[in-house]
Amino acid sequence: MNERVIPWQPTVIAGPKQALMVTPETAKMMVKKAKRPLLVLGPLAKEEPLVTHSIEIAEKWDLPIVTTADTFKIYLDKRVETKAYGIVEIINLLKDPEWEGLKGEGQHDLVIFIGGIYYMASQGLSTLKHFAPHLKTLTLCKYFHSNADASFPNMKDKEWSIYLEKMKTD
Amino acid sequence: MAPKPKEFKDDFWKTKDFKISIGDIIQKEGTQSTDEPLVPMGPTQKPNVTDLRSWDMKLLERYEPFYAPLCDMCCLCTYGKCDLLGKKGACGIDAAAQQARTVLLACCIGSAAHSGHARHLLEYLIDKKGKDFPIDMGTGIDIEAPIMRTLIGKTPKKLGDLKEALDYLEEQMVHLLSACHTGQEGSSIDFESKALHAGLMDNLGKEIGDLAQIVALDMPKGDAEAPLVELGIGTIDREKPVILCIGHNVAPGAGIMDYLEEQNLEEDLEVCGICCAAIDITRYNKNAKIVGPISKQLKFIRSGVADVIIVDEQCIRTDVLEEAKKNNAVVIATTDKMCLGLPNKTDEDSDKIVSELVNNQIEGALILNPDKVGEVAAKVAMKTSEGRSKVKVLPDLDEVVELAKECTECEWCDRVCPNSIPMMDAVMAASTGDLSQMQRLYNNDICYSCGRCEQECPRDIPIISMMAKIGEINLQDQKYNIRAGRGPVQDVEVRRVGAPIVLGDIPGVIAFVGCTNYPDGGEEVAKMAEEFLERNYIVVTTGCGAMTLGEYKDEEGKTLYERYSGSFEAKGLVNMGSCVSNAHIPGVAIKIANIFAKKPLEGNFEEIADYILNRVGACGVAWGAYSQKAAAIATGVNRWGIPVVVGPHASKYRRLFLGRTDKEESWQVNDLRNGEIVNGEPAPEHLLYAAETIGEATVMTAKLCLRPNDTSKGRQLKLNHYIDLHKKYFGTIPEDIYKFVRVQKDIPITYKRDVMKILDEKNWKPKKLPQEPSLMDMKGD
Repeated sequence: MNERVIPWQPTVIAGPKQALMVTPETAKMMVKKAKRPLLVLGPLAKEEPLVTHSIEIAEKWDLPIVTTADTFKIYLDKRVETKAYGIVEIINLLKDPEWEGLKGEGQHDLVIFIGGIYYMASQGLSTLKHFAPHLKTLTLCKYFHSNADASFPNMKDKEWSIYLEKMKTD
Repeated sequence: MAPKPKEFKDDFWKTKDFKISIGDIIQKEGTQSTDEPLVPMGPTQKPNVTDLRSWDMKLLERYEPFYAPLCDMCCLCTYGKCDLLGKKGACGIDAAAQQARTVLLACCIGSAAHSGHARHLLEYLIDKKGKDFPIDMGTGIDIEAPIMRTLIGKTPKKLGDLKEALDYLEEQMVHLLSACHTGQEGSSIDFESKALHAGLMDNLGKEIGDLAQIVALDMPKGDAEAPLVELGIGTIDREKPVILCIGHNVAPGAGIMDYLEEQNLEEDLEVCGICCAAIDITRYNKNAKIVGPISKQLKFIRSGVADVIIVDEQCIRTDVLEEAKKNNAVVIATTDKMCLGLPNKTDEDSDKIVSELVNNQIEGALILNPDKVGEVAAKVAMKTSEGRSKVKVLPDLDEVVELAKECTECEWCDRVCPNSIPMMDAVMAASTGDLSQMQRLYNNDICYSCGRCEQECPRDIPIISMMAKIGEINLQDQKYNIRAGRGPVQDVEVRRVGAPIVLGDIPGVIAFVGCTNYPDGGEEVAKMAEEFLERNYIVVTTGCGAMTLGEYKDEEGKTLYERYSGSFEAKGLVNMGSCVSNAHIPGVAIKIANIFAKKPLEGNFEEIADYILNRVGACGVAWGAYSQKAAAIATGVNRWGIPVVVGPHASKYRRLFLGRTDKEESWQVNDLRNGEIVNGEPAPEHLLYAAETIGEATVMTAKLCLRPNDTSKGRQLKLNHYIDLHKKYFGTIPEDIYKFVRVQKDIPITYKRDVMKILDEKNWKPKKLPQEPSLMDMKGD
């Protein structure tokens, strides 16, 4: 099996359905196609260069941002508007088809994750996989997340940086 | 209804040489024993799951189960495997119900572990002390068994009285476990109700176990001045023969301490423990030492320090025999829970067993008599210690560097690590002679030495042995003091702090409990406890959590136990004891309802839980919860109305209980004073919440201490801490602050201007304060 699509923690493999491994090009197509995408930044997105990458990707695609854990403060200091939720709180809202979304404009149809703690993000993605058929999930981490609908493959930092740079272009 | 005694009249009984003894005398229904004052019995004496189901439904409606499947499949029956992703299984079960079923199963396992432990302990202690041995908790404790009083409706006076509660519990557990069978329950909500019941039975089992051992083994009885005992790998005298006890059952350890005392050998041998067995042995005899929590297990066994390893039950590495063999340590199994395939030598002459063990004629021994364990363990340790000291156990530091050079940077050690720690980088650094990275992972149990990396390594690098060696570099620093487990809170302490807790003047009671499956080591948990202690919260702790708090020193080299009082008071750090002592956490909340509010306990579960949910600002923190016991513990306290914050790994339990602040109708309460249904606030907002980082957990814990019954003064104080901590970790006043301000008097003075600004933005209006907030007697009851 291609090592790039074995889940980073191999034991998170949950069943027959696996995420689609995507390149930046395919990921961008998903973002373009989405009507109400949302970017969720986890605590691993508190460090550079991921902070800058995340901000620039959000700016490029006009993505509203949710920060989980205590990630909020880093972005506040950089004057980037985000809304703080616990990861389980935002997942709980996302799985509810009645929730009106971050801006009250309706439930999101694409949720993009960066920087979650791997095993906990896997659990959150599993919730959405099972109980939120109304939306798609995409992970831009350097780890393959088999519970997402679409995920970047396992990569080293250098390649990941190239992937993230590509996410900032049309 | 108990069965009638059989009438032994026919010839069968005459011809057989049966000895008959009649146990409990069954009283006529409706009568009460004359030596007990009559107490009014509430509606739910010895409740079945369905008796408390209406309460569960209230909780579950407000705090809906949130499921995160760890696996898409069910593989419990031969219809399967069934893939439940968007589909039902062959039996008809869906993904939500399957998660809830798995949680029920976990809670049953956890509850059975504590209750099996309690049964074993109780029978042993009755055998040792007699069934009439009095349950005397001293002058400071009249309500010695608050959970039992509430559920069974009786006050246990003697050890033998505890059997009735255990019989009830075991009956309940059979029904609950049976519901896990294919084709029983089909509703996730009803599975959750049963899980809550299993958690409640867990609470009861723990209370029985701890009460029995406290009175029969003369452990501290709510003593705030319980002695400080030694903790840490560095405290173990390696020059002496060393006996290591691992597990949770005090009986074998007590047997060892008794034997050493009888033979005047206390100075000649070292007795130490890992996990709750360690805590309980030091409650029994302060000369024993605590190596540390569960995370120390493999590191310490590998170090070869222990000559004899005694295992009893729960949380023990199941490969302990294999690991012990690596350094010629002798293993003695001591309970029916863990026999390890060893020959049963319980009825064998002690010296013969010693001889067989010392001469390697047997792999180890199963000895089910704790007194015999004491004798055999001591004799074997003394006979084998000297020879074992010549056995080279760990690689020396030069070898560590050479072994590290074998690393091919495949990265699989990182990938299989449950905690995703950067082990490969640490090993690579070690290959250059820089051991600091491995040392960082060793310290504070950032690596909890599960050994998965070692198994995966294609080069067979003995990573854990290397870690164990590196851990010895600063052995002298690994010496701490922990207060011995004091048992329950005294009634007089409850009288002192009951009102300030209920009115909100003491901002909260925080319980640090559970295992050491921490995302980033134990130090941040200790710092979190320190944060709340400095803010005048009451901090209670048990088990591995209590040991973790003891492993943190300030700049002056003092541990939290040396800096804060052991009293149940503001700024008090109360080590209640071991895993079974967790019962005293809901226990003290129940006592507050009874002593402060005069709520009758007997048969009155719902009223007591409702009181706790709405008025007692308590919150559990199980940052490293890993076990089924932890699942049962948390689920049990949830049913009493106490919220719990867990760490990121606990998301793998598959289920949380989350509130929705945007669903205002779910926060309605009944004001019992006038029968009005009023809009309450989300307090507590969640019942079981998993956080990713300690900062998030700290803020959430402060928030989950809010209660509808807070006075304005109390609410001000609690909001002040919530805002302070939010500013510290998030940099701002929390955006949701307006949801918790009922009237202007609730606003902390320090932050008045900022909070008012948010209130104005949100078009806030003051709310009517309920006098007696409750979920009872709501519409639909």
